[in-house]
Formats: sequence, C-alpha cells, structure tokens
Amino acid sequence: MKKNKILLLSLLGVLAFFILVEIIAYVVAWPRRTAEKAPPGGKPGEGASVDRLEAENSSLRKKIKALPPKAVYIVVDLAHNALYLKKGNETIRKAVVSCGSGSILEEPGGRRKWVFDTPRGEFYVKSKITGPTWVKPDWAFIEEGKEVPKNPEERLEPGVLGDYALGFGSGYFIHGTLYTRLLGRSVTHGCIRVGDNDLKVIYQAASIGTKVYIF
Amino acid sequence: MRTKIILSLFILFFVYASGFAEEKPSPLRLNQLLKEELSLAKTPALYFIFDLEGKTIVLKSRGMVLQEWKIESVRSWGDQPLLKTMTLVKKSTLFPPKRQKIKPGAAEEGDTFELDALELKDMPSTYVLYMSEGTYLYIRSKPEKFISRVGDIGHLFNWYVWVPLRNLGFELQKKPFTAVDVKLGNKEEAQALYWSLADGIKGIVFCL
Repeated sequence: MKKNKILLLSLLGVLAFFILVEIIAYVVAWPRRTAEKAPPGGKPGEGASVDRLEAENSSLRKKIKALPPKAVYIVVDLAHNALYLKKGNETIRKAVVSCGSGSILEEPGGRRKWVFDTPRGEFYVKSKITGPTWVKPDWAFIEEGKEVPKNPEERLEPGVLGDYALGFGSGYFIHGTLYTRLLGRSVTHGCIRVGDNDLKVIYQAASIGTKVYIF
Repeated sequence: MRTKIILSLFILFFVYASGFAEEKPSPLRLNQLLKEELSLAKTPALYFIFDLEGKTIVLKSRGMVLQEWKIESVRSWGDQPLLKTMTLVKKSTLFPPKRQKIKPGAAEEGDTFELDALELKDMPSTYVLYMSEGTYLYIRSKPEKFISRVGDIGHLFNWYVWVPLRNLGFELQKKPFTAVDVKLGNKEEAQALYWSLADGIKGIVFCL
C-alpha cells in the first residue's frame, strides 16, 4: 500500500515537473517580433525617411518587373507533367508531357551511376533540330542489359525522338515520342517528351535563346 | 464561472498563438523584402517566398511566379523569421519518397510494363522544411480522411508539446529558433510543394 503511494507520488512529481518545464517552454517560445532597425537617414515612420523608402521600393519593384523575358518562353511543371508556352502572363499553349522518372541506374560493377531527373532551373534553347536521330548514350545500353558498342554508328537510332527536338543543354531535349500513351507520366531519362501536335507549335514558336523554366 | 474563464483563456491563447497579426508591412520591411528578392531574382536559380502575411507561397524565377500555393492557416513559435535569404537545408518526413532502382535488362525480359517512377502521388503531405538561420517550417494539409485526421492530432501534439520544448533547448544553447506551422488547402498542394522545393533552394520567409 505504502509502495503504491510512493509510486503515485513519484509519478505526480514527474508530471508536475513536466508541466512546469512545459510552462517555461511556452513562455520562452511565445511568438515575438524583431525590433525594426532604423533605416539610414532617419527613424522608421519619420516623414522624409518613409518617402525615401517608398521611392526606393517603387524602383526595386520596377527592377524586379524588368527581369522576366519579354519574348515567348517555356515553363515546365515537373510535378504535373505539364508544359506551358507563354508570352508575358498569357499562355499560348498547354501540353501534357512526360518528364524524368527519378529512377536510378547503376552500371554492373558499380563504376557509374545515373539519376534520371529532369534538371530544374532556368535554361535556354541552345539547338533546334528537325528529324532528330537519337545518339544512344551508354546508359541506354546498360539499362537494356547490352554491351556498350565501340562503333559510334551502332548508337544511332532514327525516328524515336519525333519530328523535332529542342536542346536546352547537357544532352537534355524537348522532343517527340512514340509512347504517347505515357504522356502525363514521369517516365523519361531526363528529357521532356511532347506529343506531335504540341511539339510542332512549340518548335515553331521557340527560337535559339528562348528561355525554358523548369520546376 | 470557472469554466468560462478557462475557456476564455484558451480562446485568447489560441488567437494569440495563431501567429502574426494582419497589418500592412512597413515601408522598411517591404524595402528589405524587395532588396532580398532582387538579389535572388538576378540569379538563374529558382527561389521561393513564404509570405506569411499574404498567406501565399510562391515559387519564382527572375521575379516571375511559376507556381503559387494558398496558405489556409499559419501559426508560430519563437522568434520572428529573419528577413534575409535562407537556404532549404533538408526536408524531413516520416516516410520519405524512395527512388526506384532500375535492374539492367529487366525491361527486355518481362512482357508487362511496370512504371518505376517517382511521381507526385509518392510525395508526403506532412513534413518539416529545415531552413538555415534556425527556421523550421512545419507543412501539412487540411485533413481529409480519417487517417489524416488522426495524423493531424499527432501533429497538434507535436506542435503544442514538443516544439515549445525544442525551442527551450535552443534558447538554452543561445541558438536562434523559429517554428512556423503552415496548413495548405489540400493534400496535393502539400505534395506539390514538397516536390517543387528541392534541397538547397534559396528563398525568403516574410512576415510583418
């Protein structure tokens, strides 16, 4: 009986300690604001200082507004496998595409490894090709469980990239596909596959230097 | 009477702890925000802005909004987030998405096609974004199903019990600590945000 009482008191003691610590934690963690530092040339809120800040803010806004491209540009939403051909805020064309699968391929023996992601960030169209031929990279042979050929001719595979290809650097392209039923899914090795009709519109609208934003 | 007082205190507490009051940002805060944004927008990298006042999260490039998410509710513990460029150090979640490993030659062998891809549906909807400068952003979505409602109770326990204790630990070590709880409209939005914010991305967390 006495043992139980001691146990109960100990538990209550621990609980009381925990509550006390939690109360201290609440007081310490209470949301608080950082005091505003005075801008050079006056205290915040002073007439002249506020006017000067507002003028500077307006100039900063203009500088930011001037940064987006003025011409046609391409936006690729990897999460939704969607491509937008845009000019300013206007969307000229929306296309369902296929982007990188995010899968990993390791060469038997573990010498090389590839992660099939579509790169993110700002790029620009570096090349425009009609009737492109795929030059199969090493990973394509390794993925198929085949030996990497020594003869470069054996790497050429015409007809699989559709009618057009737009290169945006490091071997990545926006190109056509034979697997149209997979459009909308993340299945590629990093390139962006587009259906024939959409690809034609994008190819005609884009020129060398057209910005490509991928996120 | 006592119940009414306790209830009023609770309401007062939740209203206060729910975060930042809705005011217009001062020209000075706006100036700091614009300067930080301009320095980010001048680079070719993507960047984010968590606008806790305007209740929006935007992913931008060159000052252009690429994607926008609406915040349902926001609350915080600790210091106000510093108005300076932060880096997403890591994303933490209970079940992180796993990349599939391709077996060389496997596609040639089988007759059936299996899609080994990392897609939006594989992304978590409840996670923590560890930012530099000691800022932790707890992201979750509005619970829709029974399991997510149970998970939300776990999140609330974490938010109201564990996070203040963690803050206390940081305070004792004299390290900065800011925790912000951000609730998004639905599961897919939280998943898309997880997808879009890659490790190492820079951005700003803005509040008044």
